[in-house]
Amino acid sequence: MERPAITADRAMMIIALVFGFFIALSAETVPLGALYALLHPDFVTLLLLYWAISNNSELSFTIVWLIGLFQDIALGDVLGAQAIASIIMIYLLYSGLGRVRSLPPWEQLFFVFLLLLAHRLIVWLWQAWAGAITWHFSLLLGPLLGALLWPLFTFALDHLRHTLRPQHV
Amino acid sequence: MPALFFPHRYPPLLRVAVLSLLTVFLTVFSERHPGLRNVGLTMAYPVQWANLQGANAWQQAARFLQSRAALASENARLRAELAQAQPDLLQAKILRVENRQLLALLDSIPQPPGKVAVAQVIAQNFSPSNQSITVDMGARNGVFVGQPVLAAGGVAGQVVSVSPMSSQVALLSDLGSSIPVQPVGSDLPLLVDGEGNLHQLIIPFQARDTALKRGDRLVTSGLGGRYPPGLMVGTITAIVRNGDQPFAQIAVQPAVRLGRLSTVLMLWSGPPSRPTAP
Repeated sequence: MERPAITADRAMMIIALVFGFFIALSAETVPLGALYALLHPDFVTLLLLYWAISNNSELSFTIVWLIGLFQDIALGDVLGAQAIASIIMIYLLYSGLGRVRSLPPWEQLFFVFLLLLAHRLIVWLWQAWAGAITWHFSLLLGPLLGALLWPLFTFALDHLRHTLRPQHV
Repeated sequence: MPALFFPHRYPPLLRVAVLSLLTVFLTVFSERHPGLRNVGLTMAYPVQWANLQGANAWQQAARFLQSRAALASENARLRAELAQAQPDLLQAKILRVENRQLLALLDSIPQPPGKVAVAQVIAQNFSPSNQSITVDMGARNGVFVGQPVLAAGGVAGQVVSVSPMSSQVALLSDLGSSIPVQPVGSDLPLLVDGEGNLHQLIIPFQARDTALKRGDRLVTSGLGGRYPPGLMVGTITAIVRNGDQPFAQIAVQPAVRLGRLSTVLMLWSGPPSRPTAP
């Protein structure tokens, strides 16, 4: 089989994705105080889910893994925690919850909550394995707020994608 | 997306399993080599740089939008605070002279005042597992691992990893943080540990009949040599003596508002004082 050629559209898509993850990571670490830290959703994971659900072809697990690894590095957390949580989350999405894609965003919300919850629990377990960590109820706040934000998030990104898409497609 | 490294013809479960195994090795390796964190911090610098630009733009916009009346009232408030602070400052000067004289009488060398530099906070991470900030000073500015970091009110934490342009500071509330302290006016050696909560620290392993009481202020004791003595750490807010607990549970409120740091002071303290003759 022939590898797909890298066209201008593809290059544009890759640049948009890299830029998107860069912005998401920046939004996650920007020093806006304790309240922001408590209430902000995990933007990188949300973007990953959006990308996995809205894209027609399957994502490469390696790329998902590398994104998670860079997230660990940028947050200064235990190396590998976000990486393994992200690939397992995407695997769960593709194997068990494949039907989520065809649902409208309002109904996707529940599945997104489950996936974000699984992601958060795996990160927590990984950090617990690597060293001391306490459980805190605020760990559940991230997935909850992320899921509640999901319809708005998909609406905004769909709109953005539609605007950026080349007209001839 | 084209498959990177792995052709798509392998089953997904196999791909996930191989990557998971790789993650296990990576995690174990990185936990055994803490020096890798410095490399990671360097790699993450573009994100921190973006944060810094965003924060600067936000501040400029806020400054532009701030009305003249607000500035005037702030000026008046600062003048009032200055007027209040001046007598205290004078008293502090007198006390410092007196302290030097007393130390000379005791034949101990007074600590030369350390050098400080102001650094800006460019990233934060306040999860229960990791309470740290990243500041815009690094190895280029002479920052080193283990360096004490102060903020308005007292001690904020210490540097845990350094890259050329930035460094990561573990706050006092970090789970791994432990700082030697003593109550003001006493030389009882104590430790204050972080437990992943920005607003509360704890003193572990104190007997239930401890002499400590609510409202006691804690300063660094200088034991261990990492922090110079006499820096404010916090105030005891509660002591709980539960019937079946072997130790008293002592809560300490940090002197610094750890959740609201925008600028911090990096401290280069002078050389450690010579041990005094017995």
